[in-house]
Amino acid sequence: MFVELGRWLALFVKELRQIGRNRRLIVMLIIPPTVNLVLFGFALNPTVTNLRLGVVDNSSSAESRELVTAFTESLAFKVTGYYLSESEMSEDLSEGKLNAGIVIPSDYADKRTRGESANIQLLVDAVDSNTATIAAGYAGRIVASLNQTIVASTPRKSPQAAPGGSAQTPSVPPRASRASITPRVALLYNPALLNSWFIVTGLIGALLVLQGSIVAAASMVREKEVGTIEQLLMTPAEAGAIITAKIAPIFLLLTADIGLSLTVARIVFGVPVRGSLLLFVVSGSLCVLSGIGIGTMIATFVNSQQQAQLMSFFVNPPLILLSGAMTPIEAMPQWIQPLTLLNPVRHFGVISRGILLKGTGMDVLYPNFLALLGFCILLVSISAWRFRRQLR
Amino acid sequence: MRRVVAQARKELTQVMRDRLTLALALVLPLALLALNGTAISLSVTDLPIVVQDLDATASSRSLVEAFRGSLTFRIVELKPDEQPEEALLENRARAAIVIPRGFERDLLRRESTETQVLIDASDANTANVMRGAATAVIQKFSASVSGVAASGLPINLETRLWFNPGRQSDKYIAPSMLAVGLALFPPLLAALAMSREGEQKTIMQVYVSSITAGEYLLGKVAAYFLIALAEWFLSLLLSFAMFGLSVRGDPSALFVCTVAYLFTNVCFGAMVGVRIPNQAAAIQAVQIVGFLLSYLLSGAIFPLSNIPVQIRWISNLIPARYYIDVVRDTLVRGSGWEGLWLTPFILSGIGLFFFLMAWMRIRRMQIEA
Repeated sequence: MFVELGRWLALFVKELRQIGRNRRLIVMLIIPPTVNLVLFGFALNPTVTNLRLGVVDNSSSAESRELVTAFTESLAFKVTGYYLSESEMSEDLSEGKLNAGIVIPSDYADKRTRGESANIQLLVDAVDSNTATIAAGYAGRIVASLNQTIVASTPRKSPQAAPGGSAQTPSVPPRASRASITPRVALLYNPALLNSWFIVTGLIGALLVLQGSIVAAASMVREKEVGTIEQLLMTPAEAGAIITAKIAPIFLLLTADIGLSLTVARIVFGVPVRGSLLLFVVSGSLCVLSGIGIGTMIATFVNSQQQAQLMSFFVNPPLILLSGAMTPIEAMPQWIQPLTLLNPVRHFGVISRGILLKGTGMDVLYPNFLALLGFCILLVSISAWRFRRQLR
Repeated sequence: MRRVVAQARKELTQVMRDRLTLALALVLPLALLALNGTAISLSVTDLPIVVQDLDATASSRSLVEAFRGSLTFRIVELKPDEQPEEALLENRARAAIVIPRGFERDLLRRESTETQVLIDASDANTANVMRGAATAVIQKFSASVSGVAASGLPINLETRLWFNPGRQSDKYIAPSMLAVGLALFPPLLAALAMSREGEQKTIMQVYVSSITAGEYLLGKVAAYFLIALAEWFLSLLLSFAMFGLSVRGDPSALFVCTVAYLFTNVCFGAMVGVRIPNQAAAIQAVQIVGFLLSYLLSGAIFPLSNIPVQIRWISNLIPARYYIDVVRDTLVRGSGWEGLWLTPFILSGIGLFFFLMAWMRIRRMQIEA
């Protein structure tokens, strides 16, 4: 028993020294996760502001200018051009120079003074469907609030009143208040709607798995490339001891990435930690272990570093894309959604968002935690089995 | 010229022989395009919500029905003794609607009342969409109970969605993923080929042969350009079949810009391969630029204008940024040369820069060797 432990320790120290001497590995542990988190957090931003709005103002009146101002006052739109005709504007819209355009008809002012309902047209470039949805929502709210101020400020004429007659005569009393329902929206957990909080909390898991798989594959393949795997075979230790001694130092090093990515998330993006830090670290470690399992498995299929890297092109994209780290799972096609349950990154995403943003604990997150644990055990044992078979 | 052709033919033969490279060249781009195009989407429908109806009257139930009728939401059961926040915390619902006591009474008295909407905003974009949809449902319901048709409002907004009226997000994502795939695989293959010669020192044989640095480079670039063209063609066919795209604009604009774009990418790969004579490191370099930057800083998923100004300038150096405009214009919007005439010049300018960088490097190594 002690002999075995001694052997294991010897192997462990050997691996640790080997890694410590590898400068490139240390750099790889620090730079890619930091750069990835910062780039993804800043670049993947669906916030819709400063949409380029074109205006065709056939009315050119105080009323139409009021309408245009209402659009620009919200930061969502900025007017980039006035056009004489709709066809002129639609040309710019189709070339992508404008995101949206409004067409104000020539009878707009007249209808407004007469108290009739005036139609305006909003044209939205829907090639980017998400921006178009949000832009149309903003425009709807802008017009709704303008409508409210108009209704509130102008005493409404009764339909029977002669046109033009009642504007000066306040004989018609202000209309009795109408039943109305005000939606009161509360945005929980992320009231400023920062998308970086969504991306970063999802991406941490993906990075941990990727880092684990890259580092593990690289260190396993190196033995093969250099041919030292034969020497490992000659050691009196068992295959199980060899593989755990190999995994343990990598695992210890990579757990540092959990702290690193959480620090970046906190300092750069101000992501809160509302739940248990311990649970976060434990689930993060399971992610790292799953990654190491994937990496070791890749290493058993290939013979060189560069083949290992090319293999990872087949594994990593689906792992990241089908995790809900960058885009909501609900937006994926129905038949893909159940497949994401097979992805450890997805489960860690739920855990990390639960802990960091919502402040939930094990009582809520246990199904995802158990799933993550299951994948971890499965991946590590498959890779150990393949590795051992290879040793024989 | 004959030597250029010979070099290109040798290169193509080599690719055909290597099964891993061949898979990388023809299968992986298509698989990734299919995956990216289907998995990346932001148009959420059918989001689970819970409703807490504290009023339980005919009016409140018809508001609930209005939510049930919306495509954005799907109502899930709220347990009798459960608070709506709990459903949000447990991820069973993404939003909760709370209808207050006295809802119907207030409506009948023609007073104003309110409805609370709690939204799980941990996914900010989805939260924004839910806020818009919930507000619209409530406002429409409010207008209908107060007996005002939309046409009775002072201003009536008619919104028309152009170019993609069904708001299918794959029409936005698929073209950009086509561009991203072409920014990754052609340069990857070119870089691997160049750095392999450096790693295995076969480049020495090239130095002692009669081929000049320019001819050697041109031969390699030509071979991988042809492969890239095949990749482009297959990807285009796939996006026609899978995502319902078609050439709606000027095909000549699409083709000319594509040629320039592929040339630029292959040259970039060649430059990386020449400068890094180590295949594993070359793969990483291409991966970072071709994948990360083209993916994130080219406006592939979200509009470029959303990227902070401090890092937005980088996107002007990324070829994919220009090509994404090309594919969106010609495959979705259906516009022609007007907005694009400058693009081939910018792209081939960047490409020539990479080509020269690679060429100078080979020349210098040749002299040193």
